[in-house]
Amino acid sequence: MRVTKGARITAGTALLALGLAACGGQSSTGGGTASADQPVRMELGEPQKLFYPGDTTESEGSEVLAAVFAPLVSYDENKQVVDDVAESIKSTDNKTWTIKLKPGYTWHNDEPLIAQNYVDAWNYAANQDNVQGANGFFSRVEGWADLNPGEGKTVSTKEMKGLKVVDDSTFKVTLSKPFSQFKTMLGYTSFYPLPKAAFGADGKVTEAYAKQPIGQGYFKFDKPYNKGTDQSIDLTRYDKFPGDKPKFDKLQFKLYSSAETAFNDLRAGNLDIHDSLPPSAIASAKAELGERYMDEADAGVGYIGFPMQYNKTYANVKVREAISLAIDRKTIAETVFSGTRAPADDFINPLLDGYRPGACAVCTYDPAKAKSQYAANGGPKTLELGYNSDGPHKEWIEAVANNLRANLGVQVTVKPFEKFASILDELDEKTYGGMFRMGWAIDYPSAENYLTPVFSTVAIKTGSNYAGWSNKAFDDLLAKGDSAATQAQGLKYYQQADDILIKELPYIPVYFYRTNAAFSQHVKGVKINLLNQVEWTKVEKVA
Amino acid sequence: MSRYIIRRLIQAIPVLLGATLLIYAIVFALPGDPIAALMGEKRMDPNLVDIMREQYHLNDPFLVQYWYYLVGLFGGDFGKTFAGVPVTDIMAGKFQVTINLAMTALVMEAVIGVGLGLYAALRHGRAQDSMVLASTLVLISIPTLVTGFVLQLLLGVKVGLFPVAGVTDGWRSYLLPGFVLAGTSIAYLTRLTRTSLVETLRADYIRTAVAKGLPRRRVVGRHALRNALIPLITYLGADLGTLMGGAVITETIFNLPGIGQQLFSSVYLREQSVVVGIVTVLVLIYILANLIVDLLYAVLDPRIRYE
Repeated sequence: MRVTKGARITAGTALLALGLAACGGQSSTGGGTASADQPVRMELGEPQKLFYPGDTTESEGSEVLAAVFAPLVSYDENKQVVDDVAESIKSTDNKTWTIKLKPGYTWHNDEPLIAQNYVDAWNYAANQDNVQGANGFFSRVEGWADLNPGEGKTVSTKEMKGLKVVDDSTFKVTLSKPFSQFKTMLGYTSFYPLPKAAFGADGKVTEAYAKQPIGQGYFKFDKPYNKGTDQSIDLTRYDKFPGDKPKFDKLQFKLYSSAETAFNDLRAGNLDIHDSLPPSAIASAKAELGERYMDEADAGVGYIGFPMQYNKTYANVKVREAISLAIDRKTIAETVFSGTRAPADDFINPLLDGYRPGACAVCTYDPAKAKSQYAANGGPKTLELGYNSDGPHKEWIEAVANNLRANLGVQVTVKPFEKFASILDELDEKTYGGMFRMGWAIDYPSAENYLTPVFSTVAIKTGSNYAGWSNKAFDDLLAKGDSAATQAQGLKYYQQADDILIKELPYIPVYFYRTNAAFSQHVKGVKINLLNQVEWTKVEKVA
Repeated sequence: MSRYIIRRLIQAIPVLLGATLLIYAIVFALPGDPIAALMGEKRMDPNLVDIMREQYHLNDPFLVQYWYYLVGLFGGDFGKTFAGVPVTDIMAGKFQVTINLAMTALVMEAVIGVGLGLYAALRHGRAQDSMVLASTLVLISIPTLVTGFVLQLLLGVKVGLFPVAGVTDGWRSYLLPGFVLAGTSIAYLTRLTRTSLVETLRADYIRTAVAKGLPRRRVVGRHALRNALIPLITYLGADLGTLMGGAVITETIFNLPGIGQQLFSSVYLREQSVVVGIVTVLVLIYILANLIVDLLYAVLDPRIRYE
């Protein structure tokens, strides 16, 4: 969920953007000596909420929870799902899943980890009365509807039919429809278990727990986190953790409201890892840090969308293709974004299995073809391009508008909205008929996550299909992929669905996000995983 | 005197009510659904949105919502953010930081500003005076944004004299941001002190004092400065409000989790309860600061009496 990075960081960064011209220049590359008991210090934006795993859907809170909880599955270097706390996750029909836990895991309060902990946590998160942000992730589990009868109606049961504990280390999950990617989903924050100690007398997760979550992962909280007061979150290694443990014993998340400030702190030797360098810092980071600067793929995608549902101006796919051909993605990625983006050439991000380089043929820059195709198909003489002005979007939208003006010979107006929600409101009310910017960050690392939530017909109502585009063949292919017998087979169907998107072009992919990180001389082995989190087992302190 | 104070405090009640209503209305009028904004650019489950809107009374008309807020406020409950954190928790920590910062800035302003002003006034028309005037002019012309970044880079990152950011180094954390925040005010205060003192030094009663044979120290310190302080106190009192609520940029550059930053992000997220809570406390501080300033007038100038 990197795109939804804490509002504070966005705001702070926007605020400071202006001042950066003043602080180019050279600088020493961080002094300071690391003592043996000094923690590894990691940059973090202020988490939006306290730490309720079922209610943490943003990147900052998830980053902390990922250090404290061990997931059922994780993702290896070859982008494959591997069992983590789970010993096995099996299904013959993609509908009924049997999850078996490895022995030896305990909670930080010494309770043993049992299957019931998972069932409790999932039932809790799925219940509308508990208003948990991750509620929707459980909508595929049978019985979810019973816990979500709608606003004002009473929930009659506290349990989903689809969850059954077999014994202390085994439970069964029955989905309402087959879903081959279910196992991939399980690495996400929302699927963490909860210990008995998390629940108060009223059956709700207590505030005390959310301030100092007890997990079953390799780090534990030193003390409760006071939101608003605390400037850091301090963790200590949990030595009874049976799996792979980090090689250092203290981890500290330092809270920053501005990515620039955090970068200066890293240069001065007061911070060890910074995984969200702002574009303004890239040049100096490259020059000063050398190998300690990292530039890696990130799972986010940026698009330009069309209000397909009600504006017929864009109904002709040839017109949409011409618009796509007229956009110079490479220059935008390199110049406007200082290389913090990469030109998009597929709907599926290169970070994931399923991406095919150059799959989107009309995502190349071909101004001559764009112009003739646009004219031949009677494209509109004026175009409108909307974006939300509270994010870093103005520059690239203006660049796209310039491309369209120059290459299609049309008039383009650029329309700023206060925030993204304002664009959505106008799309919902059908009062805005122009093109709009759109972004997507995955919830779980599966190619399917770029398709279903953004383009499927069901996502018009409950997901993020803001274009209102609907295609029967596409939906059918998704269903086939969901019930495919093997991952590979599923992926084949998803890629076929991706082909339909490329052919129909309801959105135009413009760029892929990149992760730009830096680390200090005090650490080495910094790796960032598919969920955009640092792999703490790989990090080592340098004396 | 005490009757005067009580009367002033009673006058504060309608001011406070008016301020909360006004701020509440302004935040209410901001576009966008705050609940939807919780999920960033993803669509939140519509059912969940309904439940949360009901929970936070967002479906009620404006005045009803405001009424719920006021009722809570009189019970000492500042409400909760949309993320479920009590506003009092948030305010407690943030005000601590802001008060530390504002006080550091205020003391620097008073000491450096009045000191330099005094120095310039006593050397009125000479080279030192012109130098002070010129350097304050430079200070006024550079925006906080620039002084903040430059000083952070030079003194924090390169020289390592001050902490770069954060509040983990105790009072030392506040020195550099305090100075940056006080920057323009120091310049104004220097000029104000200088002008005010130069003028007072020309007054008849000063000439009398000098003629009486009083030592120069006593003439300046006791007779002139005391009178000249009145406009300065007024300025400092008014500046406190700016320092408390308007330090967004300084707080962001130096990563100080204060009120300014909180206000900025809460307005952005449309968190009425936080915005109104903070503003209420700010108004209260402002009223108190002004009251103290008014009372100080009487101390400085015995001709002023309150009754």
